[in-house]
Amino acid sequence: MDIKELFAKQEEMKRKNLNAKAEKESEITKVMTFYIGDQVYGIEIPSVIEIIGVPHITVVPGIPYYIKGIINVRSKVVPVIDMRSRFGKEEKEYNERTNTIIIEEGGVSVGVIVDEVIGVIPVYAKNIANSPDRIGVNDNKFIKYLLEMQDGIKLVLDVAKLIYDGDMYLSEE
Amino acid sequence: MAKVEPGMEAMVDVYIFETTALLEQLDEILLRTEKANEFTEEDINEIFRIMHTVKGSSAMMGFENLQKLAHKGEDMFFIIREAPEKMTDVGFVYDLVFQMSDLFKAEIDMIQNDDDYQPTDFSEMIGKLEKGAKMLKGELDEVEAQDAAAASGVAPAAAAIDAAPDCTTVRVFFEDGCKMENIRAFMLINNVKESVDDVEIVKYVPEDIESNQDSANVIIDNGFLLSFRAPDVKAVLAAIEGSLNVQSYEVIDSAAAALAPAAAPAPAPAAAPASASAAPADAAAAAAPAPAAAKPAEKPKSAEPAKAAAAPSGGGKQSLISVNLQKLDQLHDIVGEIITTESMVISNPELEGLRLESFTKSARELRKLTADLQDTVMSIRMVPLTGPFQKMNRIVRDMKVKLNKDVELVIEGDTTEVDKSIVDNLNDPLMHLVRNAMDHGIEENVEDRIAAGKPAKGTITLSAMSSSGEVIITIADDGAGIDTDKVLSKAERNGLLTKPASEYSEREIQNMILLPGFSTNEVVTEYSGRGVGMDVVKSNLSKMGGSLLVESKKGEGTSFIIKIPLTLAIVDGMEIMVGDAEFTVPISVIKESFIVKHDQILNDTRRGEMIMIRGVCYPMLRLNEKFGLPSEVNDIEDGIVLLIESENRGICLFADKLIGEQQVVVKPFPKYLSQYDIKGQGLSGCTIMGDGSISLIIDVNTLIGSR
Repeated sequence: MDIKELFAKQEEMKRKNLNAKAEKESEITKVMTFYIGDQVYGIEIPSVIEIIGVPHITVVPGIPYYIKGIINVRSKVVPVIDMRSRFGKEEKEYNERTNTIIIEEGGVSVGVIVDEVIGVIPVYAKNIANSPDRIGVNDNKFIKYLLEMQDGIKLVLDVAKLIYDGDMYLSEE
Repeated sequence: MAKVEPGMEAMVDVYIFETTALLEQLDEILLRTEKANEFTEEDINEIFRIMHTVKGSSAMMGFENLQKLAHKGEDMFFIIREAPEKMTDVGFVYDLVFQMSDLFKAEIDMIQNDDDYQPTDFSEMIGKLEKGAKMLKGELDEVEAQDAAAASGVAPAAAAIDAAPDCTTVRVFFEDGCKMENIRAFMLINNVKESVDDVEIVKYVPEDIESNQDSANVIIDNGFLLSFRAPDVKAVLAAIEGSLNVQSYEVIDSAAAALAPAAAPAPAPAAAPASASAAPADAAAAAAPAPAAAKPAEKPKSAEPAKAAAAPSGGGKQSLISVNLQKLDQLHDIVGEIITTESMVISNPELEGLRLESFTKSARELRKLTADLQDTVMSIRMVPLTGPFQKMNRIVRDMKVKLNKDVELVIEGDTTEVDKSIVDNLNDPLMHLVRNAMDHGIEENVEDRIAAGKPAKGTITLSAMSSSGEVIITIADDGAGIDTDKVLSKAERNGLLTKPASEYSEREIQNMILLPGFSTNEVVTEYSGRGVGMDVVKSNLSKMGGSLLVESKKGEGTSFIIKIPLTLAIVDGMEIMVGDAEFTVPISVIKESFIVKHDQILNDTRRGEMIMIRGVCYPMLRLNEKFGLPSEVNDIEDGIVLLIESENRGICLFADKLIGEQQVVVKPFPKYLSQYDIKGQGLSGCTIMGDGSISLIIDVNTLIGSR
């Protein structure tokens, strides 16, 4: 590779960085979206460690019904929560689309089992609805904020509450 | 951690570690000498050395308050060194020094743990120490005059460098603004002593570099004068030149010059030793040009402890290093993973059915090596119980005075080694139990003891021994023993009884004192009896896999018996299947495993299934029912029964099948689950098996208790 080529490459990199920067200025964060039932939920990307299928779950006695047990994620023992059951929905059998999202907050890791992971979307300030209170459907204290996107409303989960709130699903209804 | 001068952060850990160790050493010497009522010169020198090092390093770290405190402590021992018998004759000295050491420890603790560390003002304690020093001196007329100068912080005017014939004197200047010139000078002396073999430091000016901060200013103004005698003068000069922060030096008085003292220009008037009021600057200035007062060449006193201080830190012979515990934990985790991965490789299902002679051989070799590796890592983490045991001496000593009880603490087997993490957690339970023995165990009145035919002096025995993977620590007193009637009535009052009072055995009653919310002492004392405690001790111990038992004989005394595992991390386990879940039962509790026939089973309507083995009836616990796991094995003849025993109680567990024996690395349950009482279900942790599945480790004690 000669100097010219290197130079061109550098220029290109710079341009890319600039573009990325411009985009970033309005983009707040990225959110991973997934289905629980028919509703689309999301978790902010910084909290997501990895996404796996549903591995063998070891049942642990003495814990709430929605914590399905513990799994081995690369030599780490992680508890898994079934989100359907956590939100008071009817449980359904896991299939090849079912995913476990490993999330972490403050050094505590938890796996959440969701029906299907959709993808990652960028979030801009304009997308965020003011308050969860405005929408009566499905609101609960684990929701951090609502996203009003063109393809529908997405509920972004509050990972800290999900992990640290021992007092479980409390419907506002 | 506290904020310190930039560049010093890395030193704080070392400072804390060293100072803590020194303070513990100080406590130990004080306790020993107080007990023996004897104070040797060696002890004093040792204390002097400790105070001195603490002072020096505190100054180095910029903890001025600690430095001052240590300085005052040093002053006091300076007086005692002149008259050691005062140490034992005058009672308040011990109390004062102990108080000082406590303040020190508290401060160090703050430095270690407090982010917004603010230096504590020790002026009260310093005042006390000064007063103590004065009181000591008041009784020591002959040395008073001599000490007055030292105690008031003014240097005894050592005016001149003596003109011993074959001496070389140099004047050293340190770099501008390098700070703490007095300490630098002290380090310079050490450096010279270390790097040149047979050098003899004859004298240095200012003399009080170790004890007087103001001497730093003197050094800045006049330089540091050092007079030494050595066969190889050049080597010494090289050492001086190579010392830290030395800007320049000049030889102002060589051996030749000393031989002709008359030729020395402008002989300065000798500052008499008595003129204590002379400002150090004056004295040094007077001394600067040339040697004057030909005092007998006497080794400065302060050099002695300094030399002692240099000895342990001097390189060469050191065979110990201090390692960050985190690194050890990391190493430990990695070894755990290696062992897991090793069995993943060796018992890989893809190898099944293959004839692999050399592979098997190498695998065996590997297994042996990893086992060795694991043992070594374990042994690194093993520390003797001496530390926590010795600390109890202090508690007994303090309480003896406060409670006015004459008690002796006997320590046995303190060299028994246990895992570091266990030792760290052992301090609180031990302290509580020893306090309890002092407060409640030993009789209030000496008359009661004599009436019972016991010696007037009470004895508390703290002993440790290891037996089959466990360490047994006993705290025994020869006091009045537990009054079972009193305990029973108290338990009844507090509603702790679960069956009619008459049905309790003596042992059961004795162990009631370990129940939450139980305290027989009517009056809350400073030390124990708040009604919390014994149950906290018990739960603290059970957190690290230990147990607590009480044995008591009325009139003869009480023993608290702690049993803790040698290590927490690795367990020899038996793998069993229940439904599709795998469990680990610690091998140490398994007595036997067998298949039972229907006719061996008794069915008691009240207590459920029982099994008779060699005349003893054991309750039967079906693990699938206990843990709510669906299992195809429900007929007792199809599965397997394990007889497990712990703390003299037995139970039979019914499982689907045995898989085999395996060493497992214990992992705690994830933090997220700590809000639920999994332990109460009879599970103590989990482990990752060779195939990546998770096995739950059965906690036998809870399981036995639940049935």
